[in-house]
Amino acid sequence: MVFIFGFNFPDSTLVKRSLESFYGIGPSVSRAILARHHIHPWAKVGSLKNPTVLALTADLTSMKIENDLRREVQDNIRRLKDMGTYRGRRHAMGLPVRGQNTRTQINTARKLNRIERGGMGRVQM
Amino acid sequence: MPPPSSCIRGLTRLRAAQPSIACRRTGDASIQTASFSTSSAHYAIVAKKKTISTPPPKRGTKTLNVKKGRKTGPVDTGKPPAVGERKAMRKRVVLSNNNALEVPSLVDLSEENVLDTKNQGLVRGIPEEAVDALRAVEAFKPRQGWSLFRRPAVLYRRETTELAQLAKGVEEGKKTERRIVTGSRMSGKSTLVLQGLLMAHLRGWAIINFPEAQDLVNAHTEYGPLPGSSPTQYTQDTYTANLLSQFLKANKHLISLPMTTSPTLPQPLPPRATLRHLLEIGITTPESSWPVFTSLWAELTQPGRPPIMLALDGLSHIMRNSEYLSADVKPIHAHDLTLVRHFVDHLSGKKTLPNGGMVLAATSSSNSPANPALEFSIQCAEARKMGAKETPMWNPYKVVDMRAMEALKNVDTLHLSGLTKEEARSIMEYYAESGMLRAKVDEGFVGERWSLAGMGNIGELERTSVRMRV
Repeated sequence: MVFIFGFNFPDSTLVKRSLESFYGIGPSVSRAILARHHIHPWAKVGSLKNPTVLALTADLTSMKIENDLRREVQDNIRRLKDMGTYRGRRHAMGLPVRGQNTRTQINTARKLNRIERGGMGRVQM
Repeated sequence: MPPPSSCIRGLTRLRAAQPSIACRRTGDASIQTASFSTSSAHYAIVAKKKTISTPPPKRGTKTLNVKKGRKTGPVDTGKPPAVGERKAMRKRVVLSNNNALEVPSLVDLSEENVLDTKNQGLVRGIPEEAVDALRAVEAFKPRQGWSLFRRPAVLYRRETTELAQLAKGVEEGKKTERRIVTGSRMSGKSTLVLQGLLMAHLRGWAIINFPEAQDLVNAHTEYGPLPGSSPTQYTQDTYTANLLSQFLKANKHLISLPMTTSPTLPQPLPPRATLRHLLEIGITTPESSWPVFTSLWAELTQPGRPPIMLALDGLSHIMRNSEYLSADVKPIHAHDLTLVRHFVDHLSGKKTLPNGGMVLAATSSSNSPANPALEFSIQCAEARKMGAKETPMWNPYKVVDMRAMEALKNVDTLHLSGLTKEEARSIMEYYAESGMLRAKVDEGFVGERWSLAGMGNIGELERTSVRMRV
């Protein structure tokens, strides 16, 4: 088990996959992080050397990910709602914000458009 | 006379009455229910199957969708293969076949006869010790036909003789021969590289082989920047350590040589160190594998040391950007990887081998990314060889890798064409003697198979005569 950014990952997990498990890191960001630390894309977490793991964690600490990012997104939505804008209301109702039709197919909006967007915290893998 | 309707009524009355009488007489209940009509059973109210009536799921909720009768594959109850087992099976090289007959007339190649032109057109065996060395440097490929015969043997073809002449020149004049091995698919390019390595090994040269250029550049092994290099070069520690261990296994005649230089390495060398000590440092600590490789190279190029054979298969992979990324997320050119750079410098002639040697790079036709620079350089080299006055013009609409163009500017090619009929006959006789070809090998048969194999393409010849038997 290797600790990255305060979370535990089994040795056999790909580094890329473990990075992408954080809120705010997707394929392109993880690619950039791997490149910055000279980790090849197929590297497993177990093969990382200790200094690399520490550098990786330090790098992640300086980035706006996980709860910081969630808070920012939620604050943005709350601001809209508090101002009483149409977008804020639509977010609060869980309906599409940008003028889409609502007769059918608004599953994405139902899933995502809420005040507490992005959930409340991270679940351990 | 009564009307017909009343007659029928009379008859039906009679029919209805009759069973009741019979029942009373016999007391049999079953006859009472028997009737010609099935309508009562047909119209009877059938009890409805009880169905669970739940309202359809709410919008946006997930439901389990398990349809009956959906095709599922056969349930696999076997144990899944262990980690690495499938890859090991895929990469397994089988070099003998106990069911094939031993060929009594097969003569082994040896140090004395390996460069002999008298071998041309004959099938020659590979001695046991050389097989081990070639296996160590992964010169045998899994998809080649070694598993069909009793033991490994090679056809000494026209191009092999050409290679032997070059090797002779190297030994006499300490020259550095550089060649790109080209040819159509299954024409024996990898096998020719193997023959080159075999010659070099038997003649006591040092052999270094990169069995798959793809493995160097596809970002599957560790990499890191080389400190103090500008522009930044990248080392591949795990790969280099593996290369050093292959060198240790394949060059047993060299590893007991004493060290003449005193390199500065992360670990100190023991007093009176040999090459083996040096190599072991690189193998056990991959971080120091690149400094070890450079000091090994410095040792091998000291005066009085044997010539060196550098070989690589799949050239087009290293003539373009690699899959690795630099710190600013730009692709790293393959020539910025230290091992590739080392090979390319020797292939391009930028660096020479002081004790002589040969640099062989085989192209691949089945696994090669499109590479206009390489294609164009091969065309130019072939035109030069033919003595053409005008070199071919390159297509300005194709994106060409200039670093590759620069590196391949004056490298000659060794083109593999089809076998001659005599060579084809010789190898088919070997097939027949091994018991793998059950036919009378005569001129007609050889000619037929030779034509079927696209004018003597050796891979096709093997396929049509040994692998595919009707």
